[in-house]
Amino acid sequence: MGRATYTIRRLLQGIPVMFGVVLITFLLTESMPGDPVSIMLGPSPGLQQAAEIRAQYGLDQPVHIRFGKYIWNLLQGDLGRSLYYEVPVTTKIVERLPVTMLLVGASFVFGTITAIPLGVVSAKRRNKPVDHVSRVVALVGVSTPSFWIGLILIIVFAFHAQDVAWLPKFPATGLVLPWADPATIDGASSRYDVIARSLEHLALPTLSLGTLRMAAFTRIERSSMLEVLNQEYVKLARAYGVRERTILRKHAFHNAQLPLITIMGLQLTASLGGAVLTETVFEINGMGRLIITAVNNQDYYLVMGTTLMFGVVFVVGVIVVDLLYAYIDPRVSYEGGD
Amino acid sequence: MSTTIEEDAQESDVEDATAGEPEARVGLRYTLSQLKRDPTAKVGGYIIAFFAVIATVAFIDTNVLAWVGHKYWFAETFWVNPVRDPATTQILRPPLSLTNDLHPGAPGDWNHVLGTDHRGRDILVRLFYGTRIAMMVGIVATGIGTVMGVVVGAVAGYYGGWVDDALMRAVEVLYAIPFLVLVIAFMVAFGRNLLFAMIGVGIRTIPVFARLIRSEVLSVREEDYVEAARASGVTNRKLIQRHVIPNSFAPVLVQATLQIGINILVIAGLSFLGFGAQPPTASWGQMLSVSRGYMLPAPWFSVWPGLAILLAVIGFNLLGDGLRDALDPRIQNR
Repeated sequence: MGRATYTIRRLLQGIPVMFGVVLITFLLTESMPGDPVSIMLGPSPGLQQAAEIRAQYGLDQPVHIRFGKYIWNLLQGDLGRSLYYEVPVTTKIVERLPVTMLLVGASFVFGTITAIPLGVVSAKRRNKPVDHVSRVVALVGVSTPSFWIGLILIIVFAFHAQDVAWLPKFPATGLVLPWADPATIDGASSRYDVIARSLEHLALPTLSLGTLRMAAFTRIERSSMLEVLNQEYVKLARAYGVRERTILRKHAFHNAQLPLITIMGLQLTASLGGAVLTETVFEINGMGRLIITAVNNQDYYLVMGTTLMFGVVFVVGVIVVDLLYAYIDPRVSYEGGD
Repeated sequence: MSTTIEEDAQESDVEDATAGEPEARVGLRYTLSQLKRDPTAKVGGYIIAFFAVIATVAFIDTNVLAWVGHKYWFAETFWVNPVRDPATTQILRPPLSLTNDLHPGAPGDWNHVLGTDHRGRDILVRLFYGTRIAMMVGIVATGIGTVMGVVVGAVAGYYGGWVDDALMRAVEVLYAIPFLVLVIAFMVAFGRNLLFAMIGVGIRTIPVFARLIRSEVLSVREEDYVEAARASGVTNRKLIQRHVIPNSFAPVLVQATLQIGINILVIAGLSFLGFGAQPPTASWGQMLSVSRGYMLPAPWFSVWPGLAILLAVIGFNLLGDGLRDALDPRIQNR
């Protein structure tokens, strides 16, 4: 089976999962108490007006018909209209998803570039001081609430740094997007300025969200490095007198990356969830805050649309991991489905 | 003929039960001795014991003592100087709010070791009462997830075929929705309180245990003694109950310990977003949420609840790691 067929097959396997996600969110939004229309119109809506809006959004029909219609529209790429923002849900998602992906991407980059050296050094110098330090860092990292890290970072680098000269200062809120129009940003004249400003703004949220990734990746990297270093072929290489450094670089490192990739795929959804908290702390308008707004305002279609989007990211992430796996490890064939 | 088979079945059943038990008991004892020797597990155990004691006292204080009329003995006795009427020595302030209006939002001093919050409430006392919620919710939610996950995973793994497919697809759906998002939607649908927070978090934890137990079951299912038991006519249900689940117990215990830590983090996050315990009930996440408004004038208010969460989660992680080392001989020397 070729790569293309395999990809298509995996995508098709994702369909039942997507359907399940739609079904669960539909049932959950269906059971939410309260009435979105009355939230929309204020405390005492006119009956006529309420009925019109209900009809306009299709809320006056029975459940199964609405679910059927929702699925039908979904197949045509229509996620419905947001009751709260009064724009199509897709518009809102197109606006917000890149922001969250930027944040999550940055945290993954941070996590990977810190975790790989930490994990490798830790495995190489097992039970030495370096290893202990890196293990403690990883342990504290996986145990710290990301939003608390965010609060502490804001206190130190945004507030306290104003009074302390040697502390670098970082902005706490008002994320500048790297693709924003330079004309709309104060004091920025070129794309380069905007990107520099954006990086400055991303620093604290990335640290906040990325610490957990760093810690989790370090643990995986360390244990998979240790496992590989224990393998027969590494022992053989050692017996042949191959230098430890060469073993590490040429033989062990490459093979130790597979578990890390698997974990990365699975952590994607976790970090999307974590982004809800980070976005709240740093007041970033991404998917996380969108879904909180949607839930608080009983915005049915927005809740379903955003949850579905998270599901899509998960399914795509798992497939990308599978493909990467096959790319990195030639022994993995495209034959096995799961 | 039929009687001999039945006798055989009974015999082997009895044999199996007696043969399995002493070994399991030795295993448990061995595990405990290993655990005692493991310094990380010990530290984790002590941390959890510390929080457990605080949680228990706070639970008795707010539930039992409050019920018999001694309201908030814990807070009054140890951590706050309540304002008393000089004549009657009666406490003037309602102990519930633990108020000391002399120092609203003050950093730590000898009366309030960790300082007071924006309403002048002692932060340490609130942390203690928050411990109760964190421990209870973390453990109950994990318990719900573990029991349901083990059942789902065992059934899926044991029966295989379409049952397995259907259950595992359902579990994958739960996995596909981010933790916080699913629990928030669940809570908005059913109730914005701690009960549904626990149930929601528990449901979202099902996939972890279902997958774990399923893979264990798949390997246990092939063992000779299970096959022998099946051949001698033991029913599927009995097999799962008597052999398959007990044999998959070790990894579940490890995962459950680690999961309590994760669930404490998630519930703190939920409370931070306003979906957990509602004020005035003190919970760590909700304290952090309130502290967001006072980060500039009262930074200590943000520091302590986070440290409490961190310490509790570290405790469960250390114990979980120690358990894993003790229960899994393959990675003993790591």
